Amino acid sequence: MYVGLSDADLAPRIADGDREAEAELCRRMSPRIRLYALRHLRSSSAADDLVQQVLLKVLESLRSARLREANKLAHFVLGTCRMTVLDLRRSAQRQEELLAIFGGDLVPEAPPMPKLDDRQLALCVQRLKERERSVVVMTFYDEHTAAETAGALGISEANVRVIRHRALQLLRACMGAVA
Amino acid sequence: MTTSPRGECSTPIDATVLMDYWLGALGPPEEDVVELHLMTCDTCGDRLRDAIALADGLRTLARSCSLQVVVSDGFVEHAAETGLRVREYAPPRGEGVQCTVAADDDLLVARLAADLTTASRVDLSWCDLRGVELQRQADIPIRADGAGVIVQQSITWAKASPTSSMIARLLAVDDAGGERVLGEYTFHHTRTIPGPPGPQSP
Repeated sequence: MYVGLSDADLAPRIADGDREAEAELCRRMSPRIRLYALRHLRSSSAADDLVQQVLLKVLESLRSARLREANKLAHFVLGTCRMTVLDLRRSAQRQEELLAIFGGDLVPEAPPMPKLDDRQLALCVQRLKERERSVVVMTFYDEHTAAETAGALGISEANVRVIRHRALQLLRACMGAVA
Repeated sequence: MTTSPRGECSTPIDATVLMDYWLGALGPPEEDVVELHLMTCDTCGDRLRDAIALADGLRTLARSCSLQVVVSDGFVEHAAETGLRVREYAPPRGEGVQCTVAADDDLLVARLAADLTTASRVDLSWCDLRGVELQRQADIPIRADGAGVIVQQSITWAKASPTSSMIARLLAVDDAGGERVLGEYTFHHTRTIPGPPGPQSP
C-alpha cells in the first residue's frame, strides 16, 4: 500500500498515527542512516546503534508533527544523523543510556554487504601499474589521506588523487563492476 | 537530483565520488550534497556498499602484506607500530645479503639505497644469477629524497619460496629507452619452511 508513496508522503501519515507508515519509513531509512553511520563511525555495531537513535528521534518528531515541511524529510533525517553523531562523540555515556532505554527492537536487519572475490581482487591489484599499486596499498592499509601518501611517495597530492581514481576504475572494471 | 518514491535515481553519483566520500576525501560542500542524495537514493546506497566492500577488500589485501609493491618509510614504521613483525634487508649497493623469513614474520621489505635524483624514470628489474630478467617493476615511485626505494616482497611468496638467489637492479630509463644501472643487490634466500628444492643456481 505504500509502494507508490514517496518518503515525504509518509510524514503526514505518521503524524496521523499510522503505525504502518512508521514501519515503512524505518524500512526505507534504516539502510540510508546506516551508511551515514558507517562512514562517520567506522563501526558496524556503532552504526546499528546510531540507526536506532536517529529513527527514534525522527519518529518522535514526526508523531508530534514537528516537521513542518514534509518534503524536507531527507534534510531532517540527515540533520538528525549529524546531531546524533556529535552527541555520541560528546558523550559516550549518553550513548549507553540511550541504548539501555531503547534496546535493539526497532531497526530492521541491515542490508548485507556485497562479497568480493578476494583472489580475483589480488590478481587485479597485481596487474596495476607500480605507482597505482603503491597508492592503493598505502591509501587503504590505514586509510591514509592523499596528502600523507603524496608525502611518502614524493608526488603531488593532486597526482595521488588522479592515480587513485584511475586505479579504482581499473579495479572496478577488473572485478566486473560497472563504474 | 531526481528520485522516485522507492529511492531510485536517474542521476547516480559517480563511483569515484562515492569512494572519495567513504575515504573522507571530499570537501564539506561536496560531502553535504552526497549525504543528502544518499538519504533519498537507495540505488546510490547500494553502490556505496559496493565501494565499501572494495575498500574493505583492499584494506585486507594491503594488510596481508602479500603484494609486491613499493612502499615508504612511514608505511613500514606504521606497520611495525600496529604490531606487524617486520623483516627488513638492506644490502649495500653492489653486494649481497643472506636472507630468510620466519613463519611468524608479517612483512618483508628490501631497502635498496641508490642515488635516484638524476633519474626521471626508475625500473626495478629482478634477475637470476645469470642476469636473466625474471620480472620488471616498471616506473616505480621514488622516495622524495631520491635516496633509494623500499620494496615490499610478498610474505606469502617468500615463505613458500625455495632456497634461491636473486638480483635486484635499479635502472634509470631515459625517454629513448636507454638504461643505466643505478644499483645492484643480491639476495640469497634460504628456505625456512620445508618444501621442494628450487632451481639450481648456475
